[in-house]
Amino acid sequence: MTNLLEVSGLTRKFAGLVAVDNLDMQVAAGGIHAVIGPNGAGKTTLFNLISGLLPPTSGRIILAGQDVTRLPAHRRAALGVARTFQNIRIFGAMTVLENVLTGLHTTARATLPEVIFRLPRFRRQERDAVAQAMAALDLVGLRDQANSRAASLSYGDARRLEIARAMAARPRLLLLDEPAAGLNPAETTRLADLVRTIRSAGTTVLLVEHDMGFVMDISEDVTVLSFGRRIFGGPPLAVRQDPAVIEAYLGHKVAAKLAAGATTGVRGA
Amino acid sequence: MTIPPWLDDFLWTYGNLVHALGVNGLLALSMYVVLAVGQLSLGQAAFMGLGAYSSVLMTQQLGLPFWAVLPLSVLAPVVFALVIGLPTLRLSGVYLAIATIGLGEVLRAVYLNVDLFGGALGLSGIPERADNTMIYGLLLAAILALWLVGRSGIGRAMEAMREDETAAAVMGVNLLRYKMGALVASAALAGLAGCLNAHVSSFIGPGEYGFEPAVTILSYALLGGIGTPIASVVGAFILTLLPELLRELSDLRLVLNGVIIVVAVLFLPGGVLPFRLRRRAA
Repeated sequence: MTNLLEVSGLTRKFAGLVAVDNLDMQVAAGGIHAVIGPNGAGKTTLFNLISGLLPPTSGRIILAGQDVTRLPAHRRAALGVARTFQNIRIFGAMTVLENVLTGLHTTARATLPEVIFRLPRFRRQERDAVAQAMAALDLVGLRDQANSRAASLSYGDARRLEIARAMAARPRLLLLDEPAAGLNPAETTRLADLVRTIRSAGTTVLLVEHDMGFVMDISEDVTVLSFGRRIFGGPPLAVRQDPAVIEAYLGHKVAAKLAAGATTGVRGA
Repeated sequence: MTIPPWLDDFLWTYGNLVHALGVNGLLALSMYVVLAVGQLSLGQAAFMGLGAYSSVLMTQQLGLPFWAVLPLSVLAPVVFALVIGLPTLRLSGVYLAIATIGLGEVLRAVYLNVDLFGGALGLSGIPERADNTMIYGLLLAAILALWLVGRSGIGRAMEAMREDETAAAVMGVNLLRYKMGALVASAALAGLAGCLNAHVSSFIGPGEYGFEPAVTILSYALLGGIGTPIASVVGAFILTLLPELLRELSDLRLVLNGVIIVVAVLFLPGGVLPFRLRRRAA
């Protein structure tokens, strides 16, 4: 299987803190890959590095064979990297449809004169964009709310709007930063279905998540970070048995007890 | 075309005010363009001054006809906008505002001390080449162009940056390009306003383009609102007419003028017209 994303030797330091430490990671094309780890493990920093919001201190990021390490965020968006944010960042004053249309910014080709004089290419572009945006709203089930103010959406709907906005331009790589946070179990199940639909439509999904049930359910590959370092990489079933992972989540005392068989019935995290 | 006597009387009495309304409307639009991408510039008066001085020199020293002078008056302000914008717009925060205040002060010192610009006496005897048709024609064209741009993908990107730059960048919006574009358009509009104003008022001086007019121009957009181009123009009209309407009050005029502005800002934080451009219902 080929890799869509390859990260090698990636390091990001904030003053004295090493948030991401010499990280090597591969994300297979067409898969669902989860990054987990305790709070402060560097997961969101990793997402900011991949989406281009932060420059790395050292290391390389390769997207589909192209080195994108030095490219700013908007160039990576044009190459097919889309993302959502842990603390939802939709444009509240705009309508739901307008939010999704901003996600199609990279597809716009009309020049300023074409825009001002409403020439055919501009009109065609807007028409196509609306159709594509409505398709993205269909994907997440928000078509009926297209003309509502984005700030008026419920929390769960706002999360889905953010996914629709990220998916509008059909990205190659979708980064989901804690998509299940704050969702109830029914909403989480719907989210899992949505992520699977997105993957089968051809977009590779890389997600950060704390909901272990969700992660185990949908991901094919898991990377575990602790203090910016990769301590595990492999299929979800192997994660729970890994001693280093158990220690990172539960501390070395509990891990030692578990290893000695003193406690039974402790679930993964 | 014959002008009816009542209109002739009116323009005789209020001609300067009518000019000022149109010119200030253009300046309000120049402010709007920058605020619309979430930036703060205090250089509108400086850009206006560059347009005014450069155009008067073209008229008086080079003897160029006004049809050439008017478009060329955007040159100097645009060049200065690029020089100021390239280093400061890469940074987030108030660096553009600080640099543009600096620009205004430096230029004021230059006008005062360089003989070519007439020193403290300014430049006088400027022929009256502009008229209300040009001023209001340009104002309408600018409102229309900004409205059409606002109601497009470009306008969506601008509003997105104003709301959340990080999210806009992730959507593929080239922040630096949009900020530069807005600043250049803003400088060009202010330059045109300066040129038109100079060619209806026969005199320009260094005091007209300093910090105080810069703040006045900012207050046009803040009072009117920045959701639509027309709102900022309405703000300029109100703030230009208000001192005239309060003329009866003589000494209390400036006090009441200030009170009205403070009350408006406190109770209408989105401006007098807090609406946003409607784009595409599905």
